[in-house]
Parts: sequence; C-alpha cells; structure tokens
Amino acid sequence: MTTTLPAAAEAPDDSAPSVRPVPPAAAVPPAASAPLTDPVPTEAPAPSGLRAPGFPEEQVRARARTGSAAVFPDPAAYGAHLFGPAAAHGGDALDRTRIVPPVFMPERLEKLIDLAREPEFGDVDLTAGVGGFTARLPLYLSAFGSTRAGSGDLAVHASRQAARLGIPMVIGENMVPVHGYRKAGDASRSALRARVEAYLEAAPDGVGGVVVQQSTEDADSEVWNLLYSDPAFRPLLESGRLAFELKTGQGAKPGLGGMTVVGRAEGEQLARRFTVREVFGEDAPRLLRCATPGTFTEEILRQQLRFMRNNFPKARTWVKFHPGRDIGQAARTAWAAGADAVTVDGAEGGTGWAPGVFLDHVGLPLAECLRRIGRPDGCLLATGGVWEGGRAVRALALGATAVGLGRAALVAVDEDPEHGLERLVEALALELRLLISALGKYAPAALTPDDLWDPAQGAVPC
Amino acid sequence: MDQPASSSAAPATPPPLGEHLRSPELRAAMLVQQEALQGARDYLRGQGFTELLPPLVGPVTDPGGRGAKALDVDYYGHPYKLMTSAILYKQASLRGFPRLFYIAPNVRVEPEETATTGRHLVEFHQIDVEIADAGREEAQEIAAGLLTHVTEHVWTTVPEILTGLGRTEADFADVRAGKYDVRTHDEAVARLLSLGHAQNPDGEIDWTGERILSLESDRPFFVDDYPKGSRGFYDREDPDRPGVLRNFDLIAPHGYGELVSGSEREADYATLVTRMRESGENPAKYAWYLKEAREGIPSSAGFGMGLQRLVRFLTGFDALWQVSAYPKLPGVVTP
Repeated sequence: MTTTLPAAAEAPDDSAPSVRPVPPAAAVPPAASAPLTDPVPTEAPAPSGLRAPGFPEEQVRARARTGSAAVFPDPAAYGAHLFGPAAAHGGDALDRTRIVPPVFMPERLEKLIDLAREPEFGDVDLTAGVGGFTARLPLYLSAFGSTRAGSGDLAVHASRQAARLGIPMVIGENMVPVHGYRKAGDASRSALRARVEAYLEAAPDGVGGVVVQQSTEDADSEVWNLLYSDPAFRPLLESGRLAFELKTGQGAKPGLGGMTVVGRAEGEQLARRFTVREVFGEDAPRLLRCATPGTFTEEILRQQLRFMRNNFPKARTWVKFHPGRDIGQAARTAWAAGADAVTVDGAEGGTGWAPGVFLDHVGLPLAECLRRIGRPDGCLLATGGVWEGGRAVRALALGATAVGLGRAALVAVDEDPEHGLERLVEALALELRLLISALGKYAPAALTPDDLWDPAQGAVPC
Repeated sequence: MDQPASSSAAPATPPPLGEHLRSPELRAAMLVQQEALQGARDYLRGQGFTELLPPLVGPVTDPGGRGAKALDVDYYGHPYKLMTSAILYKQASLRGFPRLFYIAPNVRVEPEETATTGRHLVEFHQIDVEIADAGREEAQEIAAGLLTHVTEHVWTTVPEILTGLGRTEADFADVRAGKYDVRTHDEAVARLLSLGHAQNPDGEIDWTGERILSLESDRPFFVDDYPKGSRGFYDREDPDRPGVLRNFDLIAPHGYGELVSGSEREADYATLVTRMRESGENPAKYAWYLKEAREGIPSSAGFGMGLQRLVRFLTGFDALWQVSAYPKLPGVVTP
C-alpha cells in the first residue's frame, strides 16, 4: 500500500481558493483558470456551454452536483491519504526565516574550554526533557488520530521505532471510542495496546514515554480511568513514563472536533454517541462521524488540569491546543495550572480528515503561534509540517522544547516499516547537530530567537 | 493501644472467605455493626429523616475522584454504571423527601495502591444523608450528632464486645461528649508541609497525610473548604471565595482517618453544567439529572459516612477488611 502525502509537487497553485488535491480525477474542461482540485470526480461538462473564466467555476459546478460532499476531500481517499494544507510556495512564515549563525561564538569558547579541543557538530547533546520524560532527541511522535492510516500496522511500526529512538509517543484521542477497548475483549483493545506493547518492548530503560490523549468526547468512555488501572500500562506508570494529554483541538481543523469517515453500518452504530452525517450523499456508502471539540474557558482548562493531576498523580499532565488566536494566554494558563507540557499544533499540522476550507484557511501558522507564546513558562512542544532539521531548529529557536513528527513519521514507516522512521530521524538529527553547532551552540535548549532572521521583519531582533 | 496498629498487625489480605466468616473477630465486628446501624437509624429518624433504599445501577453515577472508577453494566444494550455513590439521586429526591437517608451499598474500583491503606474496600456501604435547604454547618451538626449517638448507642448496648476488643470508654470520651474540632484545608496542608509531608495544596489530603493528621489528634475534627478540582462537580463553590468549596470531611482521631465526606450542593443548572466541564465530564451523559436541575432541585447539604470505617473506628481493628463479612480489597480478586 502507498500513502500519498499532498506535497508541493502535486499541490495546486495557491492563487485560488482550493480544496484538497486528489488523485487524478476525470478530465475536466480546461476553461476555468482556477486549478481543478475539487475532490469530487467531475463527470459531465457544462450542459449549456456557459463558462465563467476567472471564477472557480469547477468548484461551483462540483458543489452544484454533489452538495455537502464537495466540502470534504474524496472519501475514497480516506485512510490512505494523509491530509494537511497545501504547501505554500516557498514554505510558510517559519520556513521563510533564515537560520543565521553569528561570527562571534562565546558558547563555542565555553565548549572548547570544556573539551580542551575544538568542538564539532558531534558534540551537540540532543537529549531533552520532554514533558516530564527524558528524550534522546528533541522530538516526539505526534498523535495520528483515529483515521485508518494512523491506527493500523503503520502506527505499530512507528511506535516500535519511536521507542528505539528513545523519544516519547503520543497516542491519539478517539482510539478508544472508535476502536473500542472493553467491548469484545482482546480484539478491541488491540489498537491501543498493540502500540503500547510495541513501544514497551523496544524502549530502552529510562527514556521516552507514552502519552494518551483524551478529548471531551472520550470522557464518556473514560479512557484515562481505564488505562490508569490497566495492568498493561503498569510498567509505564511504575517507571514514570505515562502521561495523559488533554486534547482541546488540533491544527487541521481548529475549533472543530475529530472527524472520521465510517462505513454506513459502523456509522449507524456510532450514531448514539457521535454526530453522524450523510454529507457524501443519501446513498453514499460512507458517513461522516463528528466529535465535538469541547467547551473551554480559562477556568475550565485550569480545573480540568488540576483534576487530572489529582486523579492520576503518577501520570504526567500534557495539554494540546489548536492554533487559536489566544494561544499565548492558553499556554500560560496551562503551565500555571501545572501542565508538564503544552503542545501547539500549528495550522500546518494534522494527519486527520478535515474539510478543505479548514485545511487551507483556518488557524494560525506555527510561526505565529510561537511568536504569540513568546518565551515559554514551561515545556512547549510544537508540531506542524516538521520532517527535516531546518524547520525543527526554527521551532526550537522560537521556544519549543521539542517538535513532533506526524505525517512525516507515517510516510517514513510506510516507505520502510522496519526502519523508515529511524532513518528519517537519523537524517533529521544530523541536520540538528550541524545547524546547532553552526550557531555556536551545543544543546537545543541554548537556541534563541536571535538565531533566526525573519525577512518580513527586515532585521535580526536584538 | 487505641491506635490501629501498623499494617503488620493484621494480615494485608483476608484469609479464605469461609475461614473469615467463621472467625470470632468478624462475629464481634458484625455485632457492633448491627448496633451501629440501629443507632444510626434511631438518630436519623429522630431528626425527622426518611429512609429510602438507593438505586444500584444507572446511566451515570458519582464521577468521584482519586482514580476510583465505576464498574460497567450492560443494561439492555445501554452502558450503565454500578453506583459509586447515589449523590445525584439524593439531590433528585429532595422535592419529595426533604430529609432523607440511605444505607447505601457502593462499588468503587479503587486504585490498587489503596489496598494497603487499611481504609479501602471495593464494596462498601455509606450512611448517606441529604438535607434540603440546609447549609454546611447543619450537615456537620447532623454528622457529628450521628457519630456521637452511634458511639453512645454501641457503648450502651454492647460494651462487653468493645472492651473484649481492647477498647476503653476513655478513648471515646470526646466523641461521646460531642467535642469536635474544625480546621480548614489550607490549615491542614500547612500543618502537613510543616511536618515535612509533601501535600499537594490543590488536592485532597492524601492517604498518608490524612493518617498523619488523624494520628496526632485525640478528638474527631472537620476539615473544611477543599479546593475546587479536588472534588465532584456537585460540591458547591463558595460564592465569596472562588476556587473554595463549601464542603468538609470528618476525620476520626488516633489514625482511623476519614469517616465522612460532605458538602453544600450545587443546585443551579448553569453552574452544574459549567462545573461538569471543569471536571472533564460530558454533560450529555447526565441528561436525566440536568433535566431535574433545570426544573429546580432544592439547595441542600449532605454527607456520606462510611459504615465499615465507622465500625472499624468503634472496634479498633487494623484493616477495613476485618469489619466486612465479604471483603473485596482493591486489586485483589476474591469471591
């Protein structure tokens, strides 16, 4: 099987409002100047010969044919495609900053004195304290959500490799409500437990950790309560390597809850617990299952974190935010309430199903999230489009303690289930060492915003 | 001598059930228990309370805290819970029964680490009391009166059993005289921190902390004003002091620890929904209860007194399993 990642090469020109790129659909008359990116297979040419050059005619026609189905990517691609916004030409604001080594490097002198020889890039110590865990690299495996792409064998392979790398792993919300936990015994527990077991088998002592998300909707099935007393999780608890992450939102669809495409039979079964909609048409074989995002205020967040700490004292407490415009205040509230880590999912983030209009138009980009948070009061984790060292170093310089790998990790294990993620990370780690040492620094925590130049600002902040 | 000996004095786990049921110690405990129940009913009915029998299963139960969880029941295809406490039903009953109590069986799947506290059983009973239009002080008066009356009743009816177990009347002088102390959660935390115990100021007094405070006290005492986030959504927040709950525990002296938890209750619909969200609960689960709240639940205060904890305090046994005929310890699979 192959997993296709919408990449720049197949992304549409970004000059027009576009939805997801799709596998080549039926040929469409080339009259409209807008890119033909609607997810719905187009069939008939315009019956009357009416044309509207310069207007996104095909998208309008697709909506006229299929209604609400046109709001979403092609459901046939569900589970095989990883979704995210189309890569903008030249990258986003974070990628447009340049990494700018200085000439004078007092910290290199310190390292030279320490080592009694000239430091080199291999001397960069990438060990990081990540949300109460020790990680060998300033990285973690992001949640894949509950889409099929993120919950099958690929996820188990990714778990095993993350463990070998000594980096924490986040397991997505909705694993339990969607894939079940107690109903049907072992078979239904397997999705979540298979990942935990794979991780535990491969993890070296004392490093890494497993983080289990719960969202408002999951609270119904009390995921954390179940896991906290599950013997399978005891080794993690006893070694201080279990965390619970309160999920308040995600980068792919800020302000919305989780969405998955389900078969009609499964959808009818889930309808008692979730909103299930026939957005793909009345006779379509698939339905859209929507979870609610949950309601948060400052006080609700503060109290939920406190409640987590009181109820699960042996587990670490993480919280994940969507890239909301008040992200700075949200992060500070979470740290003040004792969160061990705050995860910010930039609008570039997410592997899950989302309406095209959200993927391309909603939420703050990661760079702006980091700018609004400023100097973090605690452990800050950033995700969103990270796959190589340059973007990772930029996020670390802007305050992140570690960066998450989501889509990149899934694609890497799809390429090579045994070692794909390890090789991807090997390359990323080498780039981190090269870049950080070039900046005259020898640990990720030493990076600062001074290490970046933002052409939009025109000057190095100093 | 009045203190429960360290956990080494009694085996950590019960003997096989048949042996346990034949033991003279259990017989003594059960004779004290039936007098305690008699005394409790006499007292509460004398105070104008009506005894109801509580529900056993429902679509939701007390969400509780401290890592205890409810057992699931498949109820005609609907996911139901065994009652961890019937608090929601107590509130809902107030319009018909403004002063009510249950002798309520509860099941809480407590975390395994509580198996060795000597104070936790998975199956236990509460003397569960609710009073319409009452404040915290009235609930505390009833709780104190109940403990005093039950103690008096037991010493009157079965003194030879208590003395046979090594109890002396002097140990209960303060209780029988109705002398109770009161301190706040803040004060309790400060005391524990000064003793070098790392008590979390935002949470429940932990098991060790509770034991420390109980051991250094000669009379029962109330702890008031727990912080929000340490208790369920139904404990009323003090309108004058945001973040502080109008609730209490009653702690027995000499190391026996918590006997009672209680509070003024939240009855306002919008506040209940908000508080549910603050404790991570999905209000949709509580539809039947919230419908009642929307139509108007009387304001109230109430408490639950742990029956087995009460009997252990009276008899002086080391562990709660010694005063339960069919004990189930957290994490221990027994019949």
